[in-house]
Amino acid sequence: MSSDPHSSRRDARSSDGVTSVDEDWTQLRTLLLAPERTQLDELRERLDNRSVEPRDISRVLPEAFAMRGPGDQQMSTVLTPYVENGFTSTVRKSPQVIVDAIAPIMGPAIRQAITRALQSMTEALNHSLDESLSVRGLQWRLEAWRTGRPFAEVVLLHRLRYRVDQVFLIHRDTGLSLHHVAAEGVVVQDEHVLSGMLTAIQEYVRDSFGASQSQALNQFQVGEWTVWIEQGSRAYLAGVIRGNPPASLREKLRDVLDRIHAEQADALASFDGDAAPFQTLQPLLEDCLQAHYEAPPRSALKLWILGGAVLLVCFWWGWTAYQAHARWTHFLAQLKVEPGILVTSANPTWGGYHLEGLRDPIAKDPLSVMSEAGIDPSTVTAQWSPFYALDPQLIMRRAQVMLKPPSTVQFRVDGEILVATGSASTEWVKETRRLALLVPGITQYRDEALIQVVVSDLLNQVNRTVIHFAPGSTRIEPSDRPRLSALADVLRNLDQAVAPSGERVRLAISGSADDTGPAALNVELSRQRAEAVLAVLGGAHLGPSTTVTTGVGGGLDNRGASTQYPAQRIVTFQASIESVHHDSEPSRP
Amino acid sequence: MIQKKICMLGGFAVGKTSLVRRFVTNVFSEHYQTTIGVTVEKKTVMVDQQDVMLMLWDLYGEDEFQHIRESYLRGSSGYILVMDGTRKATLDTARLLQQTVVRTVGPIPFVSIINKSDLQSEWEIDQPAIEQLREQGWPVFFGSAKLGQGVEELFGCLATMLLSPASPPRTCL
Repeated sequence: MSSDPHSSRRDARSSDGVTSVDEDWTQLRTLLLAPERTQLDELRERLDNRSVEPRDISRVLPEAFAMRGPGDQQMSTVLTPYVENGFTSTVRKSPQVIVDAIAPIMGPAIRQAITRALQSMTEALNHSLDESLSVRGLQWRLEAWRTGRPFAEVVLLHRLRYRVDQVFLIHRDTGLSLHHVAAEGVVVQDEHVLSGMLTAIQEYVRDSFGASQSQALNQFQVGEWTVWIEQGSRAYLAGVIRGNPPASLREKLRDVLDRIHAEQADALASFDGDAAPFQTLQPLLEDCLQAHYEAPPRSALKLWILGGAVLLVCFWWGWTAYQAHARWTHFLAQLKVEPGILVTSANPTWGGYHLEGLRDPIAKDPLSVMSEAGIDPSTVTAQWSPFYALDPQLIMRRAQVMLKPPSTVQFRVDGEILVATGSASTEWVKETRRLALLVPGITQYRDEALIQVVVSDLLNQVNRTVIHFAPGSTRIEPSDRPRLSALADVLRNLDQAVAPSGERVRLAISGSADDTGPAALNVELSRQRAEAVLAVLGGAHLGPSTTVTTGVGGGLDNRGASTQYPAQRIVTFQASIESVHHDSEPSRP
Repeated sequence: MIQKKICMLGGFAVGKTSLVRRFVTNVFSEHYQTTIGVTVEKKTVMVDQQDVMLMLWDLYGEDEFQHIRESYLRGSSGYILVMDGTRKATLDTARLLQQTVVRTVGPIPFVSIINKSDLQSEWEIDQPAIEQLREQGWPVFFGSAKLGQGVEELFGCLATMLLSPASPPRTCL
């Protein structure tokens, strides 16, 4: 008997109505299509459940932003409020994060603004230094002009000489040394310990003065060393500087510190004692080891200055010599035209001049000519020989000196002839005729036009003169004034006529009154009349050889009237000659 | 090389400076301690074949007249509490200092040392007190500045704790 396993299997049904064949097919289908079925199930699941997976979005988000971003403001509009809120929240909660992020950007911008402000101050300083006119200042000004830099900057560069000996980069919180560089030849103590002590000192100062964490010790000075500290949010730079550093160095330190914070932000934030990452900062820190030394002497410039100085001295010497020569030439020309002076030799000597020549004793003093020409007399030695010059003006002067003519006599020189005019006493005329030919340069004397005046005649003219007055009056009548004027001329002639003989004229002016009225009044009236006449004559100084007295004429009666001229209201004159002997009286030769 | 800032803390005249002076690179004189309250010194120790540079901030001894400047504690990776075995009061001071540090910079690693072990017969700090400290988690060492004992171990232990704070070595406890 045969059996069909398939039919038997097809017929065999399980208690729940599923045949064994169905189970086999199911099993087979499962074996063959399991992976696909799983995928189908997943696809079905995703189709049934349309929720978006974050993982899926993260895959496409950058591309989505990139596609929507350009030219589409909607994305910005949507995101702006969220960004603003997030930023505000960050500023409130963690301001330090923002500070750390923007410090490298803001630092240079702020410094640039400050630099601009300082630039105007520098210009003001420039103005203040404009007045400096020292040789060094001029040299610096020349350099400023040549290099196109402000003068103040050149001055600062020359004055501020410094060298950065060491630079420390120190972690701000721990005080641990991150990196350290030193200039060649600088003796360095333990930089780690120094970093710690620098930090400790800053903390000490901050605590001592109650300063906040944002305030810090930025500079201190020890002898010739200055330590400049630039504070950063995570680390600070300390530069040990010998000498006087310029402000630009601090800017340099600041720039370097900002760069370090920007480039090493992560390393600084996660610093845990390992300073190895900061070894790469070696070139940056070495860049801070700046030095400025005395500029080498510029021999060419010095030569220029020296040459200029020599030229200046030569010019000054030449100018002085030229002026001195011009003065000397002018002086010699003056001497040449001066009567009575004849220069025979004029030679320059070491530091002065030597003059030789002839000089009339009555000629002008050469020293006064020297002073007028602006020459120092002490620089001139002169040797003058005396002689008589025949210049007309000198002959005239010599005649005046030797003959002593009265003022009423006028001299004139015609060649070698001396002509006298005017009037003079007989004595003077006689004496002058004797002496005139002794005057050097005079060969002939003429006085035909000279009126001889006799002293006795003059005395008579004076003594005959009477001036009359009205009763009780001291006023001189107008009709008497011409007579008094003529009397004054006579008195002057008389004075000059007696002068050469050494005699003197005594003139007594006497007043008188009539016998009416009180006696005392008459006496006073007489005196006043005499004085009134004297006043009209020109006062008491009628001449150097005349002595004048006023008073009452003759004796007085009991009525106060003159007994010599009774009952007459007049003034009379009494002139007389008296001999007076004076040793000092100048005399004619 | 790894650097760590360590503060030396303790009461007045417990021997902090004496303990470390013979073993450190000495640059500054003790004068600075009385002037600004701290002297910074340096000690290098080796932990697991790795050099660790300990920057020791030797703070002026705490007493009733002068308190430590808390700003000096800032940035510390660890600290050493020094007590004088012959003066029990220095233990109380150490406790207060430990609380100050925790308050200022948080629970950072530390070790303690009871100094003057050469004068153990005169000690006021007794064994129960020491046990109590250990129960509170204080690593307690004994040392003598005079004899130079215990210092290397002290620094070595602290350095080890600093490098692996999660699992302090058993020798420290």
